[in-house]
Amino acid sequence: MSNKIACTHCHLEFSEDVMIVDGTHYFCCNGCQGVFHLLSDEGLSSFYDKTGDIKLSPPTHQYEDSTNFNAPAFYDKFVKLNSDGFNEVSLIIEGIHCSACIWLNEKALHKMEGVVEANINFTNNKATITWVDSIVKLSEIIDMIRAIGYNAYPYDASLQEVHANKERKEYYLKMAVAIFASMNIMWIAVAQYAGFFSGMTKDMKTILNIAEGVLATPVLFYSGWVFFRGSYYGLKNRVVNMDLLVATGASLTYIYSVYITITELGEAYFDSVSMIITFVLIGKFLEVISKKNAADTLDIITKHLPSEINVVRDEKIVSIKLEDVVVGDIIVIASGEKILLDGIISKGEGFFDESSLTGESKPIYKGLEENIISGALSIDADIHYKASRDFEHSTLSNLVSLLETAINKKPRIEQLANKLSEHFSTVVLLLSIGTFFVWWIWPHSFEESLMVAISVIVIACPCALGLATPVATLVGLNLGAKKGILFKEAAQLETMAKVDVLLVDKTGTLTVGKPEVIKENTFDGFDIKLLYSLVKSSKHPISQGIKNHIIQAAEDIDEIIFDEFSQLSARGIVAKYKTNEIIGGNLQLMSEFGIEYVYESDESLFCFAINKQVVAVYELSDTIKEGASELVKFLANKDIQTIMLTGDHQQSAQKVAQHIGIKEVNYELTPQDKLAFVESLQSEGKVIVMVGDGINDILALGRSDIGIVMGSGSDIAIDVSDVVLLNDSLDSLLSAFKISDTTFKLIKQNFGISLVYNAVTIPLAMAGYVIPLIAALSMSFSSLLVVGNSLRIKYKWKRS
Amino acid sequence: MDNWVIVMMLIVSLFLGAIALFAFMWGVKNGQFDDQEKYLNATKFDNVEDLQAAVEKEKKLEELRKKSYRPE
Repeated sequence: MSNKIACTHCHLEFSEDVMIVDGTHYFCCNGCQGVFHLLSDEGLSSFYDKTGDIKLSPPTHQYEDSTNFNAPAFYDKFVKLNSDGFNEVSLIIEGIHCSACIWLNEKALHKMEGVVEANINFTNNKATITWVDSIVKLSEIIDMIRAIGYNAYPYDASLQEVHANKERKEYYLKMAVAIFASMNIMWIAVAQYAGFFSGMTKDMKTILNIAEGVLATPVLFYSGWVFFRGSYYGLKNRVVNMDLLVATGASLTYIYSVYITITELGEAYFDSVSMIITFVLIGKFLEVISKKNAADTLDIITKHLPSEINVVRDEKIVSIKLEDVVVGDIIVIASGEKILLDGIISKGEGFFDESSLTGESKPIYKGLEENIISGALSIDADIHYKASRDFEHSTLSNLVSLLETAINKKPRIEQLANKLSEHFSTVVLLLSIGTFFVWWIWPHSFEESLMVAISVIVIACPCALGLATPVATLVGLNLGAKKGILFKEAAQLETMAKVDVLLVDKTGTLTVGKPEVIKENTFDGFDIKLLYSLVKSSKHPISQGIKNHIIQAAEDIDEIIFDEFSQLSARGIVAKYKTNEIIGGNLQLMSEFGIEYVYESDESLFCFAINKQVVAVYELSDTIKEGASELVKFLANKDIQTIMLTGDHQQSAQKVAQHIGIKEVNYELTPQDKLAFVESLQSEGKVIVMVGDGINDILALGRSDIGIVMGSGSDIAIDVSDVVLLNDSLDSLLSAFKISDTTFKLIKQNFGISLVYNAVTIPLAMAGYVIPLIAALSMSFSSLLVVGNSLRIKYKWKRS
Repeated sequence: MDNWVIVMMLIVSLFLGAIALFAFMWGVKNGQFDDQEKYLNATKFDNVEDLQAAVEKEKKLEELRKKSYRPE
């Protein structure tokens, strides 16, 4: 082994003899060299001072022509005109490793004539670029990004995302004002309370009241605006909500306090005004940040589909837009590509992975004149096929439109907080009105009765109630995030705790989804190098399974370059090395080459022969993930029914089900069947959690109350579901159930605490025993109790 | 007299606090807290050149703005 030297541009290390030497610099490839010179020419070489030792990905990628970014259709979809009359696009920049990359991209773009602004977000790699279209075209901008070693592709910064960011910012500002004012009011209140007990002049009291009033005003009218807005919409829909209670409580207290300040009678409650608003606003903010942006389904789908497709026109291969393909066009598919339109194969043959549509785990061989359906994936087939339907009518688009309706029909389970707060708010408002009249009729002055009535509202301040759910769910979300479980919305934790039925997909969910070697037999003459080189060159899942098996067992196997090599569809691989004839494949292939070999097994077989002598046999099978039976047992104890839904055959479905202990199995289901199954269970009033990973599950995932998807699942499935298990393990599925259980318990406890608390304090307030100090203290105290209780669970969970 | 001392102290301290609050709100509105990493790292790379580049960028923006508003 010779010395390894780092490439000047990307810092990846290679041995000296393969490097390109350029003066004192070494480069691993032409791409890196090109970028380096470009940066020097542009005067941007200080980039390398900034990167330090961070390794970049070398810019080896060959890109297609970028002029299609200038197409009017593209502009229509992604480019906006901003208020200054400049063009604006949102891009995702690929290949960003460090803040130096951000610096470089921004600098390089700013140097371009006509580019007004380039702003890249480091956290999510999203960029907003503004330019003048008459000076520079978008394609040139993209070319520049590519030239310096990155790639950019557009995304639709949908209105929803913009809206969500705006809402969050609004809350930040409102909270800043509220917290600032409340904290200042607190220290003024200290002086007031000290004066309340030790006595102070009326003038002094008025001064302090005015100061508090000045601070409380922006809190009520600026920060508290959301509550006025919320109660207005609530009343419009004839609902008494928490917002109404907060808004009436705060504004009545405010008016009363202003009156007291002017007339210099009694005690002002400005501190309560700002504290109510601040606490409940924080609770509301927590809710806002943990809410999922309602998925824009159309956007989801188009995002994941390439918009162009290669067809043969006039003897040439051209790429045209998906929508422009007409029935009868000949479409070209290379291995690894996705089939987007239904059709009939006219040239070529090979294996297709239809598991995303049918759930069938084994690759399917298709030859001439056979049908292929959109949504399938070509594993090793380079084919031409004739489109039998246009995109609008293809199986894939049908799926998409079904998906949209499925998501729209998704049931929303009413949250405990909403149910409770409605009753709570009504009761408190009625009690307060009642108190006022009782005190007034009983001979008391108007002021006195009003003060008592207001103290009822203040003491029953829904702070604790408002914080109960958000704080608990936040703890739950954090617990989940630490274990690789992403809940997209806080409310899902509560829904999941109410689950009746768990539906699981088989392939990729309960099983690994890829064949793994379960038995290995090697005989004399076996050469691992030959086998490794043979299986490495095939993309077939069986070959990949064996390759992974070999890599796990041994490291550093030198690869051999074969003299001759060919893949025989559906059977295996044949190669020549020096004088040796090497064959790897199934029993059928062996007998075709005249090798007599008998081996009995239910599993998929891979035989490896050198010079017509079988030297190794591998049995491969899709293995069941760890923790599957524990999961089923846990759920059974909780009276949650587990049902398996799979598109696979009865035999393989039942084998897995038996092994895990699932009693009810539904097999050979299409995506639509799965959806229908979910619907029928839901019509029985059951709450359903569905776990899946592929496109064949998306309809069911979208429709069920909670859709859980494996992190390695298809992108669309991840987008339509509510919970993502990042590490794909069934253990984290189990944890997800446990976390949601704990969280729901916590929410109930928190409600319990705040309700009991109110049950004690409200009668005191109605009897007129509550002075402002107690009202303010008790408010903070109840909120602290709720927050403390939520944190307690966090530590308890950590210990266990 | 005592009362006025209190009033002055209240006004001055609340005023100072309000300045900080407005500075923070300006920062939030300006997007300075949108991307923590970038703004924190920006201090590391701070130099005269970049400052110069930023000024030039502003100039360019101004120019382009003028141009695009020119009636044709």
